[in-house]
Amino acid sequence: MSINSEFIAFFILSVMAIGGAVFMINFTRVIHMALALAFTFLSIAGIYLQLHAEFLAVIQILIYTGAISILMLFGIMLTKNHEELKSSIAPWHAVLSFVGVAAFFGVLMWIIYQTPVISEPSDGEGWTILQLGERVFTEYVIPFELASILLLVALVGAVVLAKKEEK
Amino acid sequence: MNSWLLIGPVLLLLVVLLFVVYAIFFERKVIGWAQNRIGPNRVGYWGLLQTVADVLKLLFKEDVIPNKSDELLFRIAPIIAFVPSFAVLAVIPFSDSIRFSDFAIGLLYYMALSSITIIGILIGGWSSNNKYSLMGGMRSAAQMISYEIPLVMSVVGIVLSVGSLNLTEIVEAQKDVWFIVPQFVGFVVFLIAAISELNRCPFDLPEAESELVAGYHVEYSGFRFAFFMLTEYVYMFAMAALTTVLYLGGWNAPFGLTFIPPIIWFVLKFLLIVFFLFWLRATMPRLRADQLMQFSWKVLLPIALLNILLTCVLKEVPVIGAYF
Repeated sequence: MSINSEFIAFFILSVMAIGGAVFMINFTRVIHMALALAFTFLSIAGIYLQLHAEFLAVIQILIYTGAISILMLFGIMLTKNHEELKSSIAPWHAVLSFVGVAAFFGVLMWIIYQTPVISEPSDGEGWTILQLGERVFTEYVIPFELASILLLVALVGAVVLAKKEEK
Repeated sequence: MNSWLLIGPVLLLLVVLLFVVYAIFFERKVIGWAQNRIGPNRVGYWGLLQTVADVLKLLFKEDVIPNKSDELLFRIAPIIAFVPSFAVLAVIPFSDSIRFSDFAIGLLYYMALSSITIIGILIGGWSSNNKYSLMGGMRSAAQMISYEIPLVMSVVGIVLSVGSLNLTEIVEAQKDVWFIVPQFVGFVVFLIAAISELNRCPFDLPEAESELVAGYHVEYSGFRFAFFMLTEYVYMFAMAALTTVLYLGGWNAPFGLTFIPPIIWFVLKFLLIVFFLFWLRATMPRLRADQLMQFSWKVLLPIALLNILLTCVLKEVPVIGAYF
């Protein structure tokens, strides 16, 4: 493996993403956890950018770093949550968790290596947002509409739930 | 590597800093004139060095960190707020030759990065451990999130007309008619939402002095406070530039007056928007918090959606369709 700028950028971004995730688990205050998560989201956007998926990267920042992280921060701040989380996990529990996670990782890697790559890896560089839009609204229009209906239902559901609590 | 790649952003930062210094000065002057006062006129000739003196004062001040604050977050919050405000300038084309990147989805990039600033403001308000700053941060975040939606929706009309998210292509599409004419509804929605995004009067609820002392930066002093103020004014720079690019034809000359260089046209239109912001601040009273939210969700968003529909329909009409 040759060391070029792309490799260095990928290395930094992946360390940032994994670091954010590790910190998210290790922090004791919930606000710090949410921020670490936002940092991970941002790093993942950088990795997308490296794969020439500019649209996906920007949407990742807009939705995950912007909207979802702020929503979480809001929820945490509005609910009184000043006490720190004490870790009350028994040692055997930690070992058990490790075994479970390791097994899951093994299964995941096995599946990834077993699955044959069906098509040739496409060249991402010439891929424009125009083509993306055309694909979504012609080939994949039904899944797209289904997803939007799902979101609409969730939105209406949230409004109904909020109305109920008002009474 | 192109040496302009290194010098360009530094030059831009200097220009932006100069703009911020004199924007604050002229804001005080214009509001002074509007209220029949003189405005700052003591430091330097005609008061020209007033802001410089203010900034120097902030630099020399002690950087107070409250005892019970979350120290790390308190320290990094101004940085989280400021960095995106400067980063969004990367995609704005100032003229056909002065630009930094030709990003294919420049418009979305602007919208996405500017949302990171909200995290900085929210964290700054929370980590101060002060109820006023927490309220201010919350208000600010709630306001910026709800106004981001009409802001994005109002520019969809332009994206539909141009068929591109690239800001350079958007300017080039305005060679004949600026988008302020065919997209007037979108322009009004965009302008209102933009003022609200900037947390400026009449939407300056997060900083309502009479209720909240000063909003999310109550506990900040010295240079960190200056950073929050800088963020606000850099966003003003960015938003005025974006409005110019999207609706006022960017660097295109009106009425065929092409003997004036494009960058001058850009600056003139840009300054017009900035002046409009000052003017509005001197004229309008502040809205109430509940009015603000209702206005965004029940008035601006439906109008923005209607604008999208209207653009789609008018695009198909034979004669008018050429302008959309």
